Amino acid sequence: MDGLNALLDGMSAALTPMNLLYAFFGVLLGTAIGVLPGIGPAMAIALLLPLTYTLPVEQAIIMFAGLYYGGMYGGSTTSILLNTPGESASVMTAIEGNKMAKAGRGAAALSTAAIGSFVAGTIATFCLALLAPQVVKVAIQLGDPDYLAVMLFAFVAVTTVLGSSKIRGFASLGLGVWIGLIGIDPTSGQQRLTFGIDQLSDGIDVVVVAVAVFAMGEALWIAAHLRRAPARITPIKGRWMTREDLSRSWKPWLRGTVIGFPFGAIPAGGAEIPTFLSYISERKLSKKPEEFGHGAIEGVAGPEATNNASAAGSLVPLLTLGIPTTATAAVMILAFQTYGIQPGPRLFQDQGPLVWTLIASLLIGNAMLLLLNLPMAGLWAKLLLIPRPYLYAGILMFASLGAYAANGSPFDLWLLLFIGGLGFAMRRFGLPVVPLIVGLILAPRAEVFMRRALQISDGHLSGLVNTTFSKVVYVLIALLIVAPFIWSRVRGRRTPPEGPVGPSSPTTGADDARVHANTEGA
Amino acid sequence: MSDQVQKRGEGRSEYGVSLLLLALGIVAIVDALGLIERGARGFMTARTVPMFVGGLLILCAVLLAVDIARGGRGEQEEGEDVDLSGGADWRTVALLAAAFAFNAAFIDRLGWPITGAVMFFGSAYALGNRHYVRLAVISVALSLVTWYGFFLGLGVKLPAGLLDGIL
Amino acid sequence: MPVIVGFVPTKEGRAALDAAVTEARSRGSRLLVVNASTGAASADNRYVDDEELTALRAELDASGLDYEISHAVHKKDPAEIIVELAEETHADLIVIGVRRRTPVGKLLLGSQAQKVLLDAECPVLAVKAPR
Repeated sequence: MDGLNALLDGMSAALTPMNLLYAFFGVLLGTAIGVLPGIGPAMAIALLLPLTYTLPVEQAIIMFAGLYYGGMYGGSTTSILLNTPGESASVMTAIEGNKMAKAGRGAAALSTAAIGSFVAGTIATFCLALLAPQVVKVAIQLGDPDYLAVMLFAFVAVTTVLGSSKIRGFASLGLGVWIGLIGIDPTSGQQRLTFGIDQLSDGIDVVVVAVAVFAMGEALWIAAHLRRAPARITPIKGRWMTREDLSRSWKPWLRGTVIGFPFGAIPAGGAEIPTFLSYISERKLSKKPEEFGHGAIEGVAGPEATNNASAAGSLVPLLTLGIPTTATAAVMILAFQTYGIQPGPRLFQDQGPLVWTLIASLLIGNAMLLLLNLPMAGLWAKLLLIPRPYLYAGILMFASLGAYAANGSPFDLWLLLFIGGLGFAMRRFGLPVVPLIVGLILAPRAEVFMRRALQISDGHLSGLVNTTFSKVVYVLIALLIVAPFIWSRVRGRRTPPEGPVGPSSPTTGADDARVHANTEGA
Repeated sequence: MSDQVQKRGEGRSEYGVSLLLLALGIVAIVDALGLIERGARGFMTARTVPMFVGGLLILCAVLLAVDIARGGRGEQEEGEDVDLSGGADWRTVALLAAAFAFNAAFIDRLGWPITGAVMFFGSAYALGNRHYVRLAVISVALSLVTWYGFFLGLGVKLPAGLLDGIL
Repeated sequence: MPVIVGFVPTKEGRAALDAAVTEARSRGSRLLVVNASTGAASADNRYVDDEELTALRAELDASGLDYEISHAVHKKDPAEIIVELAEETHADLIVIGVRRRTPVGKLLLGSQAQKVLLDAECPVLAVKAPR
């Protein structure tokens, strides 16, 4: 019960006017960027990182967390009211949600999405409060080889699950690790990959890379392929929520929470897979499966609850192990690091009040989001009428501000342009960007753990696998790599040879959308 | 026919990724060989990690090339505002990059209020905005607001350049 | 010499289209339907989607008129496109829908309608939606 007590303390700390203000600011901004196409929570937090220079750590983190949750709400508004596919976390919502809106039931779709997000977000945040201290208890006993194993697991998970091509995932990871090598070798003090350039001897600022990959690369990519035909905003019609809507929604909400939370907590690429699972399980369990594809409320309620629960779930490894599982979580880690705080098991000991204030403010922010979104969904949709040239020009402007302010040097601006070009190329050639940023953040730490583990074992490789925990993790890693091959073999045998093979065959609308949903939180 | 030619061209540019990985891998290994061993014990030396990373990148390059040769293609990223049915609009990208490069090149000499405004104007123009007067006003206002915002709000003094002393 | 109508999927747009069909029929002239967007924003509710376009075609087919639909995203304002098209084709008449004068309507539809009224060389028929 120490979790709940600490949560109460955190609640009283979160309820100060300033903290409430920043939570409000975060959810407000989060909803806006969720609605706006082209900007996701990861990009928004990356662009806001300069705020960490003056803002107290509590308020910055509260704001960023509010932004994370808010993005999920805003995304559902667009996917219901717009006839175009939305962000990856809301793709499933769009399938049924937009059909409902077109059939004059937009209000009901928006309500089940908002209330479902609230219910799931609240339950999942309580789960986070209860689970995190338990994970910390285990994590605090882990040694260097165990940590190394966990990080390698994160690498493999994030590359094998995200995107459609594993080799491209590993290539992206390799790029991130390569960039992470630049600078001074922590043990021998020698310069690595600096090519005699002074500005590189301290390494490349991770903030610059994050802004380059998430903001520059995305802006350039969208500019090259800007959708010319504007979408239509479906007018909000119908009753907000009838008794029948509620009775059809509450079970999907709870099931979505159960699916979303654990998926968020493992490095499996954020909300993309769990929302898909939620959608197909609701379609299977529904008493009216014939409504699916024509605006079934369960198909909105389930995935929307799922994506919020998974956002809360991703905070578990972020806070307890310092391991990011989504793009947004990765940028959140950067925010912590700019304050010199390293998320991990010691975070709860060293920064206990900060963590609990953060978790409490998530609950508060979640309530704010419900009030902010449900009555004002139509108003938020008006953001879509902003001319995009201003929007993307503004992104470039804030990206360069963030990069320049980091060190006050134009060199970082050139780096931004260069790595932004890399981000563009990655989007063109199907390399997911999340492994790059995860590799960049975790690799230097993984190197330290590996060195320490090997020092203890006097250089023998056995030092990396001398604990039960690490052995179990390496077996899991092996399974993660091998299982998909076996799986596709088995499936390949069952599927008739002329039919499309593999999970990416677009047999239904849902599968089709799933395939295109590899744009997590950009 | 033209379709086929286009497909072959696309495949060739995919090999570029493989080449980039290969080059980075080789660079990492060459760079690692230049590192001096100091008090190394057993498996772990100063060279181990960079060599490993270089090896991983080269392995990725080879596997990717194999994948491409067998017909594998990178899936271009989709998004809410992205339309992949047409080709890339290189003119817009080049103009955006130019606007950004102008800022990077002249921010220290001309100052953010000028280069920032030029960058905003240039990128909005590149993206198709043709309301010149309105855009110019917004550009100047935004660069001034951000300059004062960073100075007063964050304590970061962006270069004032030519306008030093006036702001 | 054709009749040109600026079409938007609202009740004002409908009224304009109906009036334009009547005019074209009585003059025995071609009908050019213009629906355009600058595509500057992600969403534009005055730009018809494929569904509405099909419905529009079916309706005009049924009217028996000789017609053409221009449906495109263009950097120029819809008003400019209409006026230029009218000059190119030496149109007899432009038909546009205008909102009743509410503060909001004036703000939203005002500028485009005003541009057509001011810039067009040929007569312009401004139609309001039935109450």
